[in-house]
Amino acid sequence: MLKKTAIQKISDLAAQLMQKGTLIAPVREDAGFNFREVSDANQVDLNFYNTLMSPKLAFFPQMEDFVRYQTGKSVLEAVPVEISLKPAFLFGVRPCDVKSFEIMDIHFSGTGAVDPYWQKRREATAIFGYAFDVNTPADGADFYSTLGIGAADPEGSDVFMMKKSDDLLLKAVTDRGEKLLAEMSGLTDATPDDLKYFDETVAAGRSFKTRFTCVEAKSVAKKFEDLFHKTPFWERISDGCLSCGVCTFVCPTCYCFDICDETLFGQGTRRRVWDACMFTDFTLEASGHNPRTKVYQRLRQKVCHKYSYHVRKYGVISCVGCGRCTRNCPVNIDIFSIVDQAMKE
Amino acid sequence: MATSFKQIEENLKNEARKLLEDQKVSLVLAYGRGYDENHPVPFVAKIAADVENIVFNEYCTANMARYLVRYPRGTKMAVAVKPADSRAVVQLIQEDKVKREDVILLGIPVIGMKNSKTGEVIDSKTTCGLYNPVLYDVLLGEEIHGQPVVSPYDVLAQYEAMDKDARFAFWQKEFDKCIRCYACRKACPMCYCDPCFIDQNKPKWGEKSPQSHGNLMYHLTRFHHLAGRCIDCGECSRACPVDIPLYLFHKKVARECEEMFGQAAGKSIQDKPVLVNFRVDDSDKILE
Amino acid sequence: MSFEPKILGIACNWCTYTGADLAGTTRLQYPQNLRVVRVMCSSRINPSFIFRAFQLGADGVLVGGCHPGDCHYNTGNLYARRRLAVTKKILEFSGMEPGRFRVEWISASEGNKFAEVVTEFTEQIKNLGPQTKFKIVK
Repeated sequence: MLKKTAIQKISDLAAQLMQKGTLIAPVREDAGFNFREVSDANQVDLNFYNTLMSPKLAFFPQMEDFVRYQTGKSVLEAVPVEISLKPAFLFGVRPCDVKSFEIMDIHFSGTGAVDPYWQKRREATAIFGYAFDVNTPADGADFYSTLGIGAADPEGSDVFMMKKSDDLLLKAVTDRGEKLLAEMSGLTDATPDDLKYFDETVAAGRSFKTRFTCVEAKSVAKKFEDLFHKTPFWERISDGCLSCGVCTFVCPTCYCFDICDETLFGQGTRRRVWDACMFTDFTLEASGHNPRTKVYQRLRQKVCHKYSYHVRKYGVISCVGCGRCTRNCPVNIDIFSIVDQAMKE
Repeated sequence: MATSFKQIEENLKNEARKLLEDQKVSLVLAYGRGYDENHPVPFVAKIAADVENIVFNEYCTANMARYLVRYPRGTKMAVAVKPADSRAVVQLIQEDKVKREDVILLGIPVIGMKNSKTGEVIDSKTTCGLYNPVLYDVLLGEEIHGQPVVSPYDVLAQYEAMDKDARFAFWQKEFDKCIRCYACRKACPMCYCDPCFIDQNKPKWGEKSPQSHGNLMYHLTRFHHLAGRCIDCGECSRACPVDIPLYLFHKKVARECEEMFGQAAGKSIQDKPVLVNFRVDDSDKILE
Repeated sequence: MSFEPKILGIACNWCTYTGADLAGTTRLQYPQNLRVVRVMCSSRINPSFIFRAFQLGADGVLVGGCHPGDCHYNTGNLYARRRLAVTKKILEFSGMEPGRFRVEWISASEGNKFAEVVTEFTEQIKNLGPQTKFKIVK
């Protein structure tokens, strides 16, 4: 089913979704766009290239409470935190980010150990994908086509949206999407012309080029395994790295977290907070030993995890080429260049 | 007339090559090619052949003094310093983190640097507003004179004039954006503590989760730790992915320290940092 | 019920704390709103103590030390003076009411000054009302 609406009317669409459940959509903020739970339909703004933070925060928020307890009381009195199961709509996700959910599913549910928080949110949420504009060049930091992701791939979304001059085309991809679109009012049926445009754009998205280098999962994984002990190489690429956590926090496929017990006034919460392999204390052991004290060791871990270990274990590269880490790095370190250099090494 | 960036790059390469060939230093901290022209990366030249990769252009904003403390004591280093960066080196020498004789400063007078994230010229109000390094061994371009003198503290007036409740609301809004990626402390040349107070568990100074109170604790304490030491390079604010104007608070504290103790950070290697120093005749008025 | 503020007092062992003792033994009256923590020297005070105290619900913080020149460790309070001055400016610029933080030099023989300062400071905090800015909401 392909429907359409005027871009100007997306607040109508947003308002309808808000009546059905929680709407998480791109909102303009000081430092850029971000996915936020929308309280006012007019906040929804699709005039963005890509968001600052990745949409993983819709399923895997930076901070998530698990258990509440009181100091001095029995463990049995601790109360697990229930999460609400209101239907949710994640609106305006770029194709590369949609792909990231598939990779994250491996960790949070695919390996047999199911994370109920991720799982429940994921099940409750319908994804509205949103194509990149194939007629304007990609941002210099992006490299999703290297990883085989098109600029307008509808796979993984429930409803896939794209701009056509002043209109927004909405195509139902899954049954859930079909049902959703059927229930929406104010959408008009698409013309055969729109249908043609949609298919053409998806095709154009497949041949759309961002930065590109030939990356074949198996060979790149092998390459990084061979490079592991080449310390001078890793030192060279990490000479400028500050070892802050920006790249991991904005990354759609980074999933490391820390469990903290935070107690104040006798009331405690056990919660999960994002952690980053770039932090010095990430690998600090209780004994005081730290196996990764050097910056190069930490950057090596990050790159090899995404491009080598992940391939060996799960068969796919854990990177979607969204370019966020590169765009936001305070010193412009670029994972694409690292991979590129490694392949030439 | 300021020396062109191209010329500075040439001079920087020549100087670095000479130092490495003569084995005067074992590494040169400079800038290298990034993924495109507008995104240079910090680069460390270790042999003369590395020098070819050195670049210098208006986007080379990173403060290379940040990397000095990463190498073992006694390592002979040369470092490319812009005006604020040279103050950072001076401050590090004052704090005995690096020895004057171990470091060669390649001074670069600059004007019109640009932010590689936005592509815009960096507002001199967000930095220390100097054009020439305060300390250098070699100057890689002509000193810049005759430019308007900008007080680094002018930008504060509008915030100082705010009502205290409004100011609190302003900072709360800004700190609430913090995602605790710690880019500010990692980009800061003066933040070298290991471990940082906020990473400590016993005692636990502040919450690790990105909530208002933990953020407030982290930032206020960090401002305090940098009191009289912040050299106003503005790297923290540029590194911040969520654009918290950290420089404002640092400037405020720097100004207060300058007024109370009569000394700005990183101006002379003979100075002692103001908070590890005292004068018997310090006035009690400063406590009012 | 009238507002009874919680005030944290951080007092140096050699002067202010002894001064407080003297105020007690001479049976001087002063408000009970002050909770005193003894430290060995006013320069022992980490500024984070003060930020944290406000976060954990203090309505005011009073720091007491020896008079400059009388420090048991010769120069401790001279460092503290500079450091706490900065703390005060930081609190002020962050939007906290400046009157909620105070540093006083009170010697071991100044029991009456201790009582006076506490009375006056408590009064001042009462006028300012509850501190809500830093306080963590339960």
